[in-house]
Amino acid sequence: MSSSDLLFLLREDITRSFRLRNAKGKRTEKRGLLSRVLKFSIPVIVGGAVLWGVLAIAPMFWDLIESFISENLGMGAAIFNAVLLFSFIGSIMISATTVGSTSKMEYLLITPIKMRTIFLEKTIIVIFYNSIIWMMIGVPLFLGLSIVSPFAFALLSVPAFIVMLLILITIGVSAGGLVGLGVARAVAGRRAIKQIGTAIMSAVAIIGTTLWYVSFYTNSWNDGPNPFDALFDLANSLGFTSILTPGYTVSIVSLGLLVGAPWRWQDLLSVSLFLVLGIGMVLLNSYVSEMAHYSGWLASDATRTSKEEIRKEHGTWNPRSFPGLKLSNIVTASMWFSITSVRRDARVITNYLLGPIRFAIWLVIPGLAFGEGFGGITSYFILAALIPFATSYGLYFAGYELVYEGTNIMNLQLAATNLEEYVRGKVYSAVPFAIIASIIVSIIVLFISPLMWVYLPAVIVACTFLCMASGSIAANEAAKGGDFKADRSFARRRGASIQMPLRGWSSVRASLVPYAIGYAGVFGMILAGVLFGVLYTYAILPVFVLFCWRLTTHYTRNAGLRVAQIDATKYL
Amino acid sequence: MIEAMGLTKVFNEFIAVRNLSFQVNPGEIYGLLGPNGSGKSTTMRMLLGLLQPTAGSARISGHDIREEIVDAKRVMGYVPEEPVLPERLTGWEYINYISDIWRVPRGPEREEDIQEIMNLLDISDAGDDLIETYSKGMSRKISLVAALIHKPTVLILDELQAGIDPRGAATMKEILNGLRGRGATILMSTHILEIAERMCDRIGIINEGEMIAEGTMTELRTKAKGQSSLEEIFLSLTGGPDMQLIAQYLGESV
Repeated sequence: MSSSDLLFLLREDITRSFRLRNAKGKRTEKRGLLSRVLKFSIPVIVGGAVLWGVLAIAPMFWDLIESFISENLGMGAAIFNAVLLFSFIGSIMISATTVGSTSKMEYLLITPIKMRTIFLEKTIIVIFYNSIIWMMIGVPLFLGLSIVSPFAFALLSVPAFIVMLLILITIGVSAGGLVGLGVARAVAGRRAIKQIGTAIMSAVAIIGTTLWYVSFYTNSWNDGPNPFDALFDLANSLGFTSILTPGYTVSIVSLGLLVGAPWRWQDLLSVSLFLVLGIGMVLLNSYVSEMAHYSGWLASDATRTSKEEIRKEHGTWNPRSFPGLKLSNIVTASMWFSITSVRRDARVITNYLLGPIRFAIWLVIPGLAFGEGFGGITSYFILAALIPFATSYGLYFAGYELVYEGTNIMNLQLAATNLEEYVRGKVYSAVPFAIIASIIVSIIVLFISPLMWVYLPAVIVACTFLCMASGSIAANEAAKGGDFKADRSFARRRGASIQMPLRGWSSVRASLVPYAIGYAGVFGMILAGVLFGVLYTYAILPVFVLFCWRLTTHYTRNAGLRVAQIDATKYL
Repeated sequence: MIEAMGLTKVFNEFIAVRNLSFQVNPGEIYGLLGPNGSGKSTTMRMLLGLLQPTAGSARISGHDIREEIVDAKRVMGYVPEEPVLPERLTGWEYINYISDIWRVPRGPEREEDIQEIMNLLDISDAGDDLIETYSKGMSRKISLVAALIHKPTVLILDELQAGIDPRGAATMKEILNGLRGRGATILMSTHILEIAERMCDRIGIINEGEMIAEGTMTELRTKAKGQSSLEEIFLSLTGGPDMQLIAQYLGESV
């Protein structure tokens, strides 16, 4: 393995990712100064703010801070071990997806650089990206405290933190990558297991991270139940805060330098051991990645399976309308295409259906946090949580999926498809999911507050139409500001950034406008019912439904016209 | 020189390439023909060191592809069927990047070489554009520039002329003829049988991973007993279209 090749690749990868100047070419779309400097300015602003905050506050409480750190040098162990855990979990599938999509870097793999060096470089880039957020907060924090600290070597805590954080993340990323490659090897060629496993893992990840937020929130407001208490106890009993963990070493070395704690040979030994472990694991990861690619054991299912001479007979395809609904062929074809292309990828369908829980939970949390303190309005909070589901389903199925049509737009344009109807089909494809979510939430509300049953039918109807309005607004924004070359990929490759299907203000409008309509409409209805009687809720319902329907027809028409006129260079 | 000796690749239960042996000499263009999924690209990927052969071996200019793959790659140039290039680089940046990887010395000579090939392929005007703005044909052309910039002695070309305009295709043909004249070893796969017939010194036809015929056009004609064009030879060896199904389709549709 040549270090000069590695350094060359790293330099090129980083300079390429952080291009400040526009390319000179005439055909290249010029990006504004703001969008070019934003990725640099955000870390600088956040880092500057943290540094300013530390320098402003720490001198006043330095004695307290010093004595607290001195007495609890290992206090950061749990935090740093959590960083290790996050980088581990976040990297589980990255190595496997990188190896699985090597066609995207074939131009590099054919060069006279060892494959393992190329995979190593990609892993280092992932470590770099994983460390940015922790560096952004940690470096100014340590820098500020070391400036305030009167100890001679306090400033060394900054490089110590940087080096040890990198070691920590290297161990996490490499271990995650190895586990992911192992899992990918085990399920290679087994589509059903892969799909079910992916769905379960995605659901666990979404619900797990949501509960994690909940635990922070509930802890900060009351002494109520913490869903992670048991997990922390378990982690503790497993030695997560143990002096033998990498997190403990990071904590004791970096904080020790800050308060002038004496150096111990055990700490030096720990640092050396973890350094060797990190280097060993990252090298092992690149070796296994190379083997995975070179031997072809991650080859796609189609490549691995013998072709069989089976002539299949297919009947005439005829997408049917939903029972009781009379929809045109284009609408039903669009609905069928939307739902089929989503449901074939377990990761996508799970993220679409459960993803909104990440937003909704912030509305449920006050109910959980304050419990009886919120009296009878807990149910309203839970009802409020329904809005993100209704709006997000519209956004995903009509907005994102319209963008992911990509080159298929060419077929639609060539076939002179009525694209207004096609967009409407996309909007309608979200509706069944919104209805199901509404019914589930309604049942929960019924358990908490049975007296609210009178409002629930109105809420279900309102959310159904809200979903349609949201979908049409999102489709219109997608037609205006969608990146029609974006991949529908939740699986990130090493060093690749997430491609957002909607860009800039289009993304903001597609998300926020339906929220505003939903909360104003649904809660306006309920408020009217609470203040003046339930009949007022049902009197306002038709107005809200009509308003949403008007938005739906208006924006699906606009979106359809825009997509019909979209230039081929946008999607080809 | 390319020497493939009993190359075999098995994916799980599927034999993609079966005991394939052939040799391409310096100053020779060798055409690898076969139906879709016959194993052409897998063979090329093994020769390029991208895939490990399950059995057999190969040598590129004397370098074993298992033991000395980096040395083998140093003398090779490759244009894939569908080049996926770094979209956030301009054409010039990409070529300079690849040149640096191949350790082509920086300086005016390199610049002139790049400019010369880009001019030949008529893409010098797009050199400052991001690759994401390139058409399929332009991507192939810039891939060819990248494949030639380190002056390889062995060229592997997968469907090089697909998607290229007639002028570009003619230029490419001239470039390949020129390289052959200078002693380069060229292995190319193509579906355009006319190109194979006109350009290739020898042709290998593979079907379901096996070499079913190999030789010059004259030798192939002899083997195919009276078939005169390469298309006829190819179809007689790999199986022609199902005329009954075509007639049935036309009868129903027209």
